[in-house]
Amino acid sequence: MHLDSAQEKALRGELGEAKQFAMEIVSKVGDAVGADELVPIKSAHVLAHYSSLHDAGVEVLERFANSGGKFAVPTSVDPASIDLQNWKSFGIPEDYARQQLRLCDAYAKMGGMRCWTCVQYQVCNFPKERDVVAWAESSAVVFANSVLGSRSNKITAGMDIACAVLGLTPRFGMLLDENRQAGVVFELGLKGLTDLDYRSMGFFIGRNAGACIPSLDGLPSSVTSDQIKHLGAGAAAAGPVTMIHFPGITPGSKTIADACGGEKVEEIEITRSSLSDIESDLNQTSELPDLVAFGVPHLSVNELGELARLIDGRKLKKGVKMYAYTSSQAYDMAERTGITATIERTGARISHSTDAEISPLKALGFNTVLTNSAKLAEIVSSEGEIRVGYASQKDIVERVTS
Amino acid sequence: MKPWHKRGKGLILGRAQGEALVSLRAFTFAHGVDPSTGVVTDVRSDVRGMNVKGKILFYPFGKGSTTASSWFLETVRQGNNPAAVVTETVDLSAVIGSVMARVVYGKEIPVMTGVRRTAYVGLKSGAEVFLDAGRGEVRAEG
Repeated sequence: MHLDSAQEKALRGELGEAKQFAMEIVSKVGDAVGADELVPIKSAHVLAHYSSLHDAGVEVLERFANSGGKFAVPTSVDPASIDLQNWKSFGIPEDYARQQLRLCDAYAKMGGMRCWTCVQYQVCNFPKERDVVAWAESSAVVFANSVLGSRSNKITAGMDIACAVLGLTPRFGMLLDENRQAGVVFELGLKGLTDLDYRSMGFFIGRNAGACIPSLDGLPSSVTSDQIKHLGAGAAAAGPVTMIHFPGITPGSKTIADACGGEKVEEIEITRSSLSDIESDLNQTSELPDLVAFGVPHLSVNELGELARLIDGRKLKKGVKMYAYTSSQAYDMAERTGITATIERTGARISHSTDAEISPLKALGFNTVLTNSAKLAEIVSSEGEIRVGYASQKDIVERVTS
Repeated sequence: MKPWHKRGKGLILGRAQGEALVSLRAFTFAHGVDPSTGVVTDVRSDVRGMNVKGKILFYPFGKGSTTASSWFLETVRQGNNPAAVVTETVDLSAVIGSVMARVVYGKEIPVMTGVRRTAYVGLKSGAEVFLDAGRGEVRAEG
């Protein structure tokens, strides 16, 4: 990969230790993937949660922060592994919280936006069409490429911070027009989609698209951006998906032919049985759960409002906890508009700045989790210790409240 | 098993030798491998219960969370990492994980791509594999 003279200087350490460390990472990754050069980014989104970064990640982030690293572009951050305001009342062990707070301090020192959300595109990080960004968070990368028409590779931990410190990313993969073409079309032959169907459909697409970029034909015009958010999250959880063309929604893809660049590609039909197969795969247990988790990815304030209307006047059954996960910004709005009070009257709680899949669920004593998130169901079952149920929000509320 | 020899593209160069661990499904270190042991925990993986430590790890492509490279790096920190990774299409998290292993812990973990899943069929988990990413070669003895 070609480096210009300023980038060479960074690599030699003439622009400080943090930029040298960042350039070492970025140039090696660029060389590995055959990028031709580094290009400027409009924003970054990075990871700083202890459950996934582990002690190695604390070392890396502190090395950046302690050697003078500052973010060169507006940078947002994924949720933390603890509710940053109320972690004690959620029963988080002190030593666990301490490692998370080290990550928070390092991140803050580098000048990032303290949003702690996986839906930064609904909160504080709004790239426009064709903007190049370097984002972590698989579900957000799908949203950026598919809905906003921005351009991001699925930047993973370590590289995310390096790109943010340099304000640069190697040009390859999803930054290039020729790699954004759909290679498989999913035909939706179904009407009357439920909210859960969008999540299962995403998972089905992720599992069956292989390494191709999928296009999805036949979404009803009633689809909401929240439903697309959950569809994309399910797809990215199940496979290597970085983008889905939604004809009529995705910038530049008015039709399936646009999405596929006029080429004839494989077609896969999505039927009722495709979705019920996914449901039964993700739903491992129908027992009464210890924890109901909504909001992977984070709920918008509208979704919190829907939950409040659904659950108003009910009471959680004994032995069941229900957490709705959201961004700090939606949390504030929910408090001001009475949504929080309605939800919390039932015994449920709203948790912000963290999310279920990156919380120490086992350490908190949860053995069974029930969710309407395909992403959470996939992740929690992958760790192999907690049993997971998967059902619609409406069914869940029926089951766990009276 | 017949002698097995394939060509691919070296992404992170270097040589490695070890037993093959072959998955035919999308693979991830994120929540899917326990860094403190190297054992695959993912219930949807066809190599669940196997250990990645010291192995030449084959899988077609990645899936899931962008935290995969930090899970990978933690297996390196704890000494439970694979010896090399071979995929069909580029898994950026393996590339980034390997680069981080090099710059943070000075460890070389070669990564190759372009070896098709259909070619894994002749290769059994446990076979002794030799990999030279610089030459784009991977082979197993019969």
